[in-house]
Amino acid sequence: MSINNLIIAVIAIIAAPIVGGLLTGIDRKITARMQNRFGPPLLQPFYDFFKLLGKQGIAVNQTQMVYVMGHLFFAVGALIMLVLKQDLLMLMFILAFSAVSLIMGAMSVRSPYSKIGAQREIMQMMAYEPVLLLMVVGVYKATGSFMISEIFNHGEPLLFSLPLVFLAFLYVLTIKLRKSPFDFSTSHHGHQELIKGLTTEFSGTQLALIELTHWFDLVLLLGLITLFFAQPIWVGILIALASYFCEIVIDNVSARVTWQWMVKVTWVAGIGAALVNIVWMYLI
Amino acid sequence: MDWYLLLAAILLPALSAVLCFIIRNQKLRIAIVSISTLLLFAVAGGFIALMVESPDGKLVFQMEHSVLELVSWVIKGFDLLLFCYIAYIGLKHKKAIVFILSVLQFIPWALFEIFGVFGKVNEPEAAFVIDYLSLIMIMLVSIIGPIITVFAIGYMKEHEHHLHLKVSRQPRFFMILFIFLSAMNALVMTDNLSWMYFFWEITTLCSFLLISHDGTEIAVKNGLRALWINSIGGVAFIIAIVMMNSSLNTLSIQEISASGMEGALAGTLPIALALLCIAGFTKSAQFPFQSWLLGAMVAPTPVSALLHSSTMVKAGVYLVVRISPAFAGTILGQLVAIVGGFTFVAASAIAISQSNAKKVLAYSTIANLGLIICCAGIGTRISLAAAILLMIFHAVSKGLLFLCVGTIELGIGSRDIEDMQGLFKRMPFTTVITVIGQISMLLPPFGVLITKWMAIETAVHQPLVLLFIILGSALTVVFWSKWIGIILTMSYKPKFHIEKLSFSMKAALSALIAFVMAASIGIAPLYNNFVKPQILAFKMADREELAGTGLGIWLHKVDAAVYGGFASIMFFAVILILMVAIPIISNRIKPSRLKPPYLCGSNADEDLRGLEFISPGDKVETVVVRNYYMQSVFGENKLTFWVNAVAGAVIIIMLGVVIGL
Repeated sequence: MSINNLIIAVIAIIAAPIVGGLLTGIDRKITARMQNRFGPPLLQPFYDFFKLLGKQGIAVNQTQMVYVMGHLFFAVGALIMLVLKQDLLMLMFILAFSAVSLIMGAMSVRSPYSKIGAQREIMQMMAYEPVLLLMVVGVYKATGSFMISEIFNHGEPLLFSLPLVFLAFLYVLTIKLRKSPFDFSTSHHGHQELIKGLTTEFSGTQLALIELTHWFDLVLLLGLITLFFAQPIWVGILIALASYFCEIVIDNVSARVTWQWMVKVTWVAGIGAALVNIVWMYLI
Repeated sequence: MDWYLLLAAILLPALSAVLCFIIRNQKLRIAIVSISTLLLFAVAGGFIALMVESPDGKLVFQMEHSVLELVSWVIKGFDLLLFCYIAYIGLKHKKAIVFILSVLQFIPWALFEIFGVFGKVNEPEAAFVIDYLSLIMIMLVSIIGPIITVFAIGYMKEHEHHLHLKVSRQPRFFMILFIFLSAMNALVMTDNLSWMYFFWEITTLCSFLLISHDGTEIAVKNGLRALWINSIGGVAFIIAIVMMNSSLNTLSIQEISASGMEGALAGTLPIALALLCIAGFTKSAQFPFQSWLLGAMVAPTPVSALLHSSTMVKAGVYLVVRISPAFAGTILGQLVAIVGGFTFVAASAIAISQSNAKKVLAYSTIANLGLIICCAGIGTRISLAAAILLMIFHAVSKGLLFLCVGTIELGIGSRDIEDMQGLFKRMPFTTVITVIGQISMLLPPFGVLITKWMAIETAVHQPLVLLFIILGSALTVVFWSKWIGIILTMSYKPKFHIEKLSFSMKAALSALIAFVMAASIGIAPLYNNFVKPQILAFKMADREELAGTGLGIWLHKVDAAVYGGFASIMFFAVILILMVAIPIISNRIKPSRLKPPYLCGSNADEDLRGLEFISPGDKVETVVVRNYYMQSVFGENKLTFWVNAVAGAVIIIMLGVVIGL
């Protein structure tokens, strides 16, 4: 790894949580306004984060921290692969293992809520993983390579040749971000039928790190959206921000669905849309 | 020197088999097994050294004509005995189909080999040819095989203890294991298709004898099923030999493999190739022939580990990979890829609904064999590299996992995944090894994932196959993560209890886990030194290339442009090490800070495990946590019929196509 690459990676690792935290702050502000509330200050996610870090460490068993670390590190690894423009398919695998690690953490405690959340998260993965992999295939069909660097060398924006894949990816984004109507593995409010689901038994530093990983994930996913319009990149970034705004709107106007419904619809509509797009790419 | 090594590889296990059977003393048996193990390691090492020295990457063993003739007749004699014995088994257990299939094999065999009705038998000049693919198989057989045999010493002692046997049946057991190793070594070294058929049939018979070893009603029933399903493969195999002899005028496996580039895929050759593939499908338990492998799980665990996951079932994929250059890029290749890919998805889906650990492993084995066959069918150099690498990684990891499940079963008396909660407290050593084995099937930096990644990147030209691999890999994550999650479930325990395991079991588990890690971390050198020479030696049109540089792997196109890859496997290894090391170093949680999990009400007592809680109405309720198995969607009885129907249809289509070619 050259020095140049190292610097890019370090910048990404420092910048991503700041951007991710700010976006979360904006999200909370917008959400509040949509609900006729004033909302917390913009920097509230950071205040929360540092408060959590300072909390007394409480755990259910000795191993939980391992999985939280795995969740964080694999997410950071995926982000590094993105900024260094590496293999897109490998990136998706790494991203999947970040999620698997959190599931392991939730399952490692003998808590019913945590386990239910974990099982639902597994179902989510089963639903969205094929769509993500199909997106990679779509990118290959358009650029002839699995390397992200080739997307930047490709003349035409991917969005023009992969519109349906893009829509399927947006749909999956809602699941990945655990936003309503797909917030059934963990929810924003801890007083529902699944308490806090996946994260019920995490506290203090662990919860802070999970929140940090969420910011990394957010930046990574928006980065992947940007790939659909890589030249010029500012258009891609605008599209990503617009997509995020859409997610916030959807989050606020919809109620939670069941996971069975989600799996069915994702496999039929999500995979279907991506496949239709890829089939026509094969026929061109 | 070369000949001694070859004879040692085949005859040494045969000798050990005889000794194990004659000498009925436990201590001497341990000595025999240990010495054979070391000698077989040495044999594998010797072959590696010979291959490194050989200039053209191939060891050819020529026999004098008279010797060749003699050996041929000896093998024919044994073949005849084998037919008679299998027919006898059919009669003895009143299983007509075993008898009929045996006769169906005997008739073409006798007409062809003895009476020469179908023309002259073109035996190849070289009796044995060892190339890198054979070498890799020899390594799997002669390294993993003995390790599992060592494990069996400790395991069978406890197993027989549980069964309350008066007279130990271990001599018979170890004899068959060693005969199997001998046949397997011969099978992968020979260049003569009709000899290969003989060794193939021996492994089928060994499989029957070992599955039915415990002699219970269910064991015999499942053993017979394995026998007749594999006999279907035998019938396909013998017909393929006859057709191959008349269409290519040779029985040399090397020449069959190279025939694809000569544009000879016409007449009866495609039919012969398809029949050989079907023989491979039965041996490797592809849908719709999978039921025998599931039934085989009644056998003692070392049998499942050795025959039904790491070596014998690899004979089927070995044959398919071996002949795949002959049909690379043809419609037959595409259909083979579809059969394999479909099996990969279907087996992974059914695995989700299983809570029996051995069955999950069995379905996962079927799925991975499917992926190997799928890669062989895709027929690019990269896909064949993926197939061969997956053969290695899968053999090591799955051999290990079966041994782990066997150990767990002896420890907790159950093979149900749900009973494995909190295993870490009772069997810490086994748990750690099991979990590493499981994540080696799933996570980077371990090899299985890398091969899956290669498979997807090389399958992009065949959309249907690609879709199968993608869906299959999503489903794979589901059943593995459910199981790992259960095993790792634990509550706080201040002290870990030290696990008691017999030396032989501990040694076998440690050796295999070392191989799992070494193979994955060294994927680039492993590829460069063993797989790449074989891939380049295959005669086929495709020009895509895979390159191992440093500790990374890159995929190249014809014009040498990179289109995929990763720089270093260490990147992932570091992440894995950090995620475990940091929590251990940074803080040790004080016992006073540990709390029980949150339940649906206040916890019933101070117990940190959180087993009971007080529900509304002051009733004490017990907490039950279980995984989702989704029987209604992925249940075995829901899916098996339809999946078999589809897979059977594809195979009939395949036959129809090759007859029409």
